[in-house]
Amino acid sequence: MSGAFGFEPAVKPGVPAPAGPIGAGPRRPAMPWPAAPLQMLLPALVLLPLLAWLPFTAHGGGLDLLGRFALAAFTPSLDPLVVRSALAGLATTVGMALLGWVASLVLGVSLGVASSRTLWRTCCGRVWPGGWIRRLLAVPRAVHELLWGLLLLQLVGLQPVVAVVAIALPFGALVARVVADLLDGLDTGRLEALRLAGAPAPAALFTALGPPLLPGLLSYGGYRLECALRSATLLGVFGLGGLGTDLRLTLQSLEFHELWTGLWLLLAVMLALEAGLGWLRRRWLMPRRLALSQAGVGVRGREMVLALVALLPLGFGVGRALGVDPRGLLTWQPLQGVGGSGWWDGDRLLALPWPSLIGGTLALTLLAAALAVGLPPLQLLVSAPWPPLRRLVQLSWAFARLWPPPLTALLLLLLLQPGLLTAALALGLHNAGILGRLLAEALADGSSARHGALVSAGVGPRLALLYGRYPAVARPYLAYGAYRADVLLRDTVVVGLVGATGLGSQLLESLSSFAWDQLLALVAVYVLLTLLGEELSDRVRRQLLRCG
Amino acid sequence: MSQAVQPLLELRQVRLDGRGLPRLAAVSLALHPGERVALLGPSGAGKSSLLAVANGLLAPSSGQVLWQGEPPARSRRARRRQQARIGTLWQDLRLIEELTVQQNLNAGRLAVWGWPRALLNLLMPLDTAANAAALAKVDLPPELLHQPVAALSGGQRQRVAIARLLRQEPSLLLADEPLASLDPRLAGALLALLLAEVTPQRAMLLSLHRPDLLAGFDRVIGLRAGRIVVDAPAAALRGAAGESLLAELYQGSEAPGVHPGGLGALREGGEAR
Repeated sequence: MSGAFGFEPAVKPGVPAPAGPIGAGPRRPAMPWPAAPLQMLLPALVLLPLLAWLPFTAHGGGLDLLGRFALAAFTPSLDPLVVRSALAGLATTVGMALLGWVASLVLGVSLGVASSRTLWRTCCGRVWPGGWIRRLLAVPRAVHELLWGLLLLQLVGLQPVVAVVAIALPFGALVARVVADLLDGLDTGRLEALRLAGAPAPAALFTALGPPLLPGLLSYGGYRLECALRSATLLGVFGLGGLGTDLRLTLQSLEFHELWTGLWLLLAVMLALEAGLGWLRRRWLMPRRLALSQAGVGVRGREMVLALVALLPLGFGVGRALGVDPRGLLTWQPLQGVGGSGWWDGDRLLALPWPSLIGGTLALTLLAAALAVGLPPLQLLVSAPWPPLRRLVQLSWAFARLWPPPLTALLLLLLLQPGLLTAALALGLHNAGILGRLLAEALADGSSARHGALVSAGVGPRLALLYGRYPAVARPYLAYGAYRADVLLRDTVVVGLVGATGLGSQLLESLSSFAWDQLLALVAVYVLLTLLGEELSDRVRRQLLRCG
Repeated sequence: MSQAVQPLLELRQVRLDGRGLPRLAAVSLALHPGERVALLGPSGAGKSSLLAVANGLLAPSSGQVLWQGEPPARSRRARRRQQARIGTLWQDLRLIEELTVQQNLNAGRLAVWGWPRALLNLLMPLDTAANAAALAKVDLPPELLHQPVAALSGGQRQRVAIARLLRQEPSLLLADEPLASLDPRLAGALLALLLAEVTPQRAMLLSLHRPDLLAGFDRVIGLRAGRIVVDAPAAALRGAAGESLLAELYQGSEAPGVHPGGLGALREGGEAR
């Protein structure tokens, strides 16, 4: 049951682990422990306190505005000027995403190969350089692309290359980690056989590890492109250009009809991208079920390599069209205040309310993660008997993952007061859209035999889903949720502008007041927290995928 | 076998279109309470199709299916009540690997249980006495209740699947090649268990690929190219006359043997309509 969750890094796609030793004595659970399908629903319990809390934080002032926003979905502005500007913004966003993605792949694959233990062992006989490169890469990975973007913006000013680099750096480090994990997870038998036969190290590495690496790389790479599109939109929201900027401006000026013009276009592009990548994934990676075509093997491989090679000229073309100029990164602006006397003030740093900042960030992460993991299975269960409602749920997921969390937060501010709850809702709903799609895909890929058997025995659609389909996906889903929680920790910075929510909001505040010392300290704490969270979620994930 | 009693299953002139030739043509049969019926025929004769129509997995292209004299209900709720009275033993068993034996046995009750009990079943042991009794009927010790199904041996899983069927308390038992891929001794033991469950209120229709196991059956239906060509008391298939009947049934096909797909492959998990 690896399916849709197969691209999660670090832990190899989960094969259902064998349960306990066969013939082991009776195993009576010491305390009631929820069975797998129920574990999927447990995080949804977070809804109870959230809903109880909601009335106290609601002000309801913007109810009519929210209504106008919703109604405008049916009447987007078709003014040629608006459409043209939205299309131009969309082209910029897609171009930035594409370019950042290509750069991150180039960066990630080379760094990933460079940090692979297998490679160092084969080429030089020692492993430690790979380990050190891997550890160093943890830092760019732990800094959110938005932070990279905002920092670079201060450093080199607003230009298209900023967004591209902001995406390429953290994504490249992420891809490097996954590539290194994939490489080191491969069976080295073939490699040793080639080496013993006298093949030189590079040739042996390429021949033995290249082909098995390709499918995993493509699957994960495709997923990163979707992430890059979301990130490019998000960076736009913070002023780095493209459609995101338009979305934020139209939302803030309450031009809902124009807002929806951009939203519908973005939705179309995102759904087309997801469908296209899904098609490619199925075409290249699914074992052919009906026809065992021998010819297909080589052809697929050639197609994959050609597609990868074609990315480079594509990247250059897009770069030229966007006016991306890497030389722009070399001329730095003087940072306001830095170097002057007293820019570093230890007392001011210690005066920051660190415990509450960190506590707020952790609380925000946990709330949002529980919401993101718990909501999709519950929604699918509730909507199971009514296919139209189910389609509506899936459409709502599409909107949730397309719509950047800070904009959700701005919308929520029409109804709610700024604070932890509002930020958690914005972040949680966005990620629920991502997890929901993965869950639906995993359910569609899984066998329907047990579901069919239950339906044949007269079991209702909801219970048939709970007993027939959820058990098989429960553990991979929760394991993916653990990975998502660690992504969420990094993401808390993007809802910082809703205020009073930990490190993220303090960071944005320090940035706008040019308090560079605070900024540096906050980023350092963020990196530390993220690395700790990564370690923790790795452990939880391994635990989940191991015990059956 | 009195005709006054309502048949548990009745097919009237059922036709099921396939690609090219019909998979079933003009099939009529009635199953009365207390009957144990074996369904024989060469591969591709339509045994799995007939069972799929009988348990509601496939709707016939023409003709009628009646359960206890009633056609398939229109309302979803009534239809589910009908399906709950039909128990199917699947060739691939379709046990829920991730759950314990007890939770699997209770899954047989899901059609009548509401939400609260269905959720509670995933949290704590429910109905332990009834489940232990069901296990005892298939000669399994009650200690197995807390084992995950994934830890059971092949023979134990077969028995757990039968026990789950018993927990469902169906009035019509259907089984598609339940004994395929089992060694002869185990096949005989499991068949005996199944046959023993046919009470005077129940009926069983079981497709079979081994004519040597007909001993406990009352009646045999032979299917060939989607048509019923034999419908006789089981006694008629013993002795020399039986030999020639069987030879005719399997004529031109390979000896009774391996079955390619089974009920599950017909319409992989499609919802009963």
